[in-house]
Formats: sequence, structure tokens, C-alpha cells
Amino acid sequence: MLMVAPAFLHALIWIGIPVIAAFVLSFTNYDVLTQPRFNGIQNYLDALTDPVFRRGMLNTLVYAFFTVPVAMGIALLIALMLDTQLRARAFFRTAVFIPQVTATIAVALVWLWIYDPRNGLLNAVLGFFGVPAQNWLSSTTWAMPSVIAVGIWQGIGLKMLIYLAALQSLPKDVYEAASVDGASKTRQFFSITLPLLKPATFFVFVTSVISAFQAFDLIYILTDGGPANTTTMMTYEIYKSAFREFRVGYACAQSIILFVFLLLLTLANRRLNGGDSGRH
Amino acid sequence: MDFSRRSFLTAMGLGTAAAVAGCATTSPSGSSAADPTGPVEGDITFLCALFEGATGKETLEGNLLKQFNEKYPDVNVTVDYTDYGSLNEKITTGLASGLMPDVVTLGVGWIPPFAFKKAIAPLPESLATRYTYEERVLEPSRFDGTLYALPMVLDTRIVAYRKDFFEEAGITGTPQNWDELREVAKQLTVKEGGKVTRVGFDPFSIDLRQCWETFLFGNSGELFSADGRQVLFDSPEGVASLQIFLDMMADGSADFAVSTEAGQPTTLQQGTSAIMMTNNSLYVQLQQQSPELVDKIGTFVLGNTNPAMLQGGTMVSQSASSKNPAAARALVEFLGSPDAVLVASEQRGSVPAISDLKDSEYVQGNPMVAFALENLSKARSEGGTPAWMEIREKIKPTLETAIVGQQTAQQAIDQLAGIANDAIGRL
Repeated sequence: MLMVAPAFLHALIWIGIPVIAAFVLSFTNYDVLTQPRFNGIQNYLDALTDPVFRRGMLNTLVYAFFTVPVAMGIALLIALMLDTQLRARAFFRTAVFIPQVTATIAVALVWLWIYDPRNGLLNAVLGFFGVPAQNWLSSTTWAMPSVIAVGIWQGIGLKMLIYLAALQSLPKDVYEAASVDGASKTRQFFSITLPLLKPATFFVFVTSVISAFQAFDLIYILTDGGPANTTTMMTYEIYKSAFREFRVGYACAQSIILFVFLLLLTLANRRLNGGDSGRH
Repeated sequence: MDFSRRSFLTAMGLGTAAAVAGCATTSPSGSSAADPTGPVEGDITFLCALFEGATGKETLEGNLLKQFNEKYPDVNVTVDYTDYGSLNEKITTGLASGLMPDVVTLGVGWIPPFAFKKAIAPLPESLATRYTYEERVLEPSRFDGTLYALPMVLDTRIVAYRKDFFEEAGITGTPQNWDELREVAKQLTVKEGGKVTRVGFDPFSIDLRQCWETFLFGNSGELFSADGRQVLFDSPEGVASLQIFLDMMADGSADFAVSTEAGQPTTLQQGTSAIMMTNNSLYVQLQQQSPELVDKIGTFVLGNTNPAMLQGGTMVSQSASSKNPAAARALVEFLGSPDAVLVASEQRGSVPAISDLKDSEYVQGNPMVAFALENLSKARSEGGTPAWMEIREKIKPTLETAIVGQQTAQQAIDQLAGIANDAIGRL
């Protein structure tokens, strides 16, 4: 037990205490400036009836719904391509992974330019093909898809890396046996590769969902939650409540709601997929 | 060493109690009011949202603070630079951690919330009469009649227009009310191939909250009652101040999609608007980006029933929990002096808060700053309630719901009033 003491203390100080403190403060009206006063479940009632926070919850679900499976699919596809004897594959692997290690602020600024309605790259390219210019980030129709597109693009790198590592650890003899039995490449992919990738898929899915639910910096830079709250997310509302409105107790309640969301999603996924054991 | 479940839970419980108690004990309300009568000495911190960039740093630390230290050699000032967008976060985290800076820059409208919660210290009334201030300028520095801050720079929201476009359209005077504005904007709107290539009026290049407030004040409306406890903007004047944007969008003379992108020349400079809501710092931008337009752009104060311009700005205040209150007070007084105010204004193209500076070379050489100073009697400020920090965040997204057609102007204002009433009710 002594050997785990450092890790235990680290978890206690940086995770345990803040989580419990947040839970306790979520039942108060703590505003940083004055002593917290107990206000029961009022913060939770306020959060669940606040139309903007509810919009944030919906937007977060939509964002996660589109970014997670799409990015996972693309990442798997790229990983399969990069798991071959492709020339310059190290370059391609690096190129795909670069968005993951680039500061989101820098990424968002580049995308701000790409989405610029008058001088942006996207409208220039579309204009070349005769497609009319769009206001990607200030239109209630296009703002969310634009943010989702950046989220997908940015998230591919890490997922690809995990899938690539998993692919390289798959047993070769199974494929050899399948080939001897006459199984096509497609059949091998669906009957061998995908089932064997289940633990990796479970890990990628859980971490991706958590990451999608924590989307913040992209929103902060690209849209500020607008227009008309169409791109606001749960984390962004938590940030605004705590740091712009001084409603720390309320922000804690919103954080607990987010935590419960993630917990339920993870448990549901674990149950649906039989966990990360690879059983099926 | 063995960790039982009981010892684990005990540790967690003690830790939580310590964390919660830590949060509570850092509250400035529990500290004694800063006493500024002691010796002017010690280390103080200054959270600064002015003097941006390397030039600003050199101006503040290489010039102003050297002057300050000549007078107060025993004071050591550490400057924490931030931008206006992060100022609120810096203050929040400072308060939560018990490391509230001794001297802070605050925005217009921020004094009532911080003074109400006793986060900032009152200043002697004598500082309000030390220099010549327009009374409108000092209004946002007070809470319950007490002075809590000294204004440094002002940023007014005014209307700018292209004189050459007016001339081309044969328009000889600037609009005096909203009806005239609508008519002029329609005349100035240009369509080519069924597509609007120039809007007559661009209200969306400044923050929608501030734009709507300018129109509200110009329509003789008010945000809150004098004591800040009653919402007054849910009036016909408040609704009309939002409806005017919808009407102009319906006319085709304003477009939510046509606004100035961050870091780019304004729509007025690009010729995609003929009239726009802007900030007095536009003049500096014109000099840097479009010197050929300097003489082609004019300004006016718009009103419907009451000419009004919005006055934003930056004020300097003293933390109520400063451990060296005399030094902090001395720095506040210094930063509110004409020397510091003029340098800060010049560095960012702002309006100096002290009226006597209207004869300075800087003001005389900047027509938009001079214009703003001349019209300070028409200036109105946002805020006015201790719940402002919460309410201000909700205004723009709520008004946008009407702009993008999700609800009517009346519904958006009603929703906003509900949010504001809830926030005030929580005080």
C-alpha cells in the first residue's frame, strides 16, 4: 500500500478533493465574492430549467453524435491505409497526427480564416465551382456543422494512432488461416479485424465521447457559443457561469450534471459492448 | 502503512472541508476594509487590461511606473497584463485563490457588482473633484453614491458614415431619428444582380449588446432603476430598440451576415456599408489601414427621441483585501492622473476620461476622440445593477435569437427581462 501512496495522494489532492468540493459547492450559492450559503437543489433545478443550458446539452449531444462515430470511421480507414507498406507512410502518419498535437488556439485561428465569409479559403474554393458564399460561423444553419467539421478533423489523429497500434498487434496467424480457408479481404476485415479491434474501439469511443463532451476551446475561439446559442456547449456554459457570471455554485451543479451524463454514457457503452474485454 | 476504507473516507472528508473552507476564507467580504492611511510602501500587484503589447509594456513600465517610483520609491509594482476578454477570469481566479491583485482595471458597469460584494475599496470623494470630469464619466465609477474607481480611458460607441457615399446619393445631412436613418439606409443600400453589395447600415460590427443599449438610450429607455433592483428595459422603448434592427433587415438595408470580421478592415473601409456603429478607435485604424479614407468618414450621435452614445471604458480600482492599501491607493491615484490617462488613451486611440485633456495635442489630432469628448454630455453607460456581471453575458445571445428570427423582439426582450429579474432576485 505504501507503494501506491504517491499515486493515491496525487489522485486525492487533484481529483478527489476537487470533485467532492465541486459536489458540495453545487448545493450552495457560492459566488467567489461572499461566503457560500446552502441552497439545496436549487442550482440543479435552475440548470435543468435553464433554456440556454438545455440548449448546451442538446448541442453537446449533437456535436458528440457527429464527431465521435465519423472521426472514428475515418480514423480506422486511415489506420488501415497506413498499416500497409505504403511509401512515405511515416510522413502520412505524422501529417494525420499533427492536428492532435497542435494547440487548439492555433488550429481554431486557421479555421477562422478558412471560414471567413469574404476572404476565407472555403468560400474561395466553393466560389470557383460556382457555389455561393456562406457565412459559416455566423449562420444558425452552418455554425454547428462548421464546428463539427473542425472537431472531426482535429480528433482523427489520436484515434488513428490508437487504431494503428491495435492493428499492428493483431495476430498474423489468424489472417493466414483465413486466407488458407479462402476468406476475402473484406470478409477478413469484418470477421477478424473489427471483432479483434473491439477493446481498442471501446477505448477510443469512451475517450472520444468524453473529449467531445468537453469541447470548449474550439467554441471559445470560433463562435463564442453563437449565433443565438446555436453552438454553445455544456462546458462553455459551465465556464461562463463560473468565470463570467461568478455563479460558481451553479457552475458546480452544471459540472455534476455533465459528470452524470458521461458516467451514464460510459456505463451504457460498457454494457452494450461487453466492456473492454473483447468478449462478444 | 495501511489505508482502510474509514481512513480513506476521513481523509476525503477532511480534504473537502479544507477545500470548501479555503474557498470561504478567501472571500474579501471577510477581510477588513483596506486602510490607506499607512506608509506608502511594499509590494503590490496591478492587474492591467490596458497598455497592450510590447509598446504598451514599455509605456507603462518604462515610463509611467518609473515616474510613480520616483515619487514612491518604496513601492514595488508587479504588473499582470491581460486582455479585456480575460480580465473577468483573472479577477475570479484571483478572488477564489485569495490572490486578488491590489489594483485592478475594471470595465464600465463592473463597479456595482464588485462594490456590492465588497471586493473593491471605496475611494475618497475628493478624488472625484481633483480633475475636471464630465459627470456622465464618473457615474459608472460610483455605487450607492460612493466613489469606487477612477476612470482612465473611455471607448464610446458612435455612428460613422461614408461622406462620399452620402454625396453620391445626394444626401446632405445626417439622420436625426430612426425614421430618417431607415430612409437614408435604404437609399444607400446597393444591390447588384439581386445581391446586396453594400448595406446602408451596419449595426452588427460592434457587440450587439452595446449596439442595442445605444439605441435604447437614444430612444429614452433605461436599463434598470436607479437602485439597480428593477428591470426597466422591458418597455416599449426597449422592444423598439431591437425591432429597429429587424425592420432594417426586412428593408434589406442591414444584414446580420455583413459585419466586420476580427482583425480586418471595417465594413465602412471595405465599402460594404455606408453607415456603421463603431468605436472611436476607428480613427487610428483608418490612419494605419486606409489613410485615403480619413477625410471621407464622418461621425454623428444618433438618437430617436434623445441623442445618446454609449460610453464604455476602463477604470482603475483598489482591492478591498490589499495588504498594502496605502501603496495601492497611491497607484490608483497616479493611474487616474492626467499624465497616465493621456498616455493610456494615446496608446490605444481611446478617449481620455479627464475633460481638461481636450486641448492636448493627442485629442486635437484625433477627430473621433475630439468628437466623443465634445459629446460626453450625451454619453450613457451600461450596467447599474449589482447583478450586471451575470446579466451582461445573457444580453447578446438573447437578442440574437430575435435577429436570427427564432423569436420576436418582444419575446426576446421578455426572455431577457426574466433572466435579469432572476439574477437580481438572487442578490
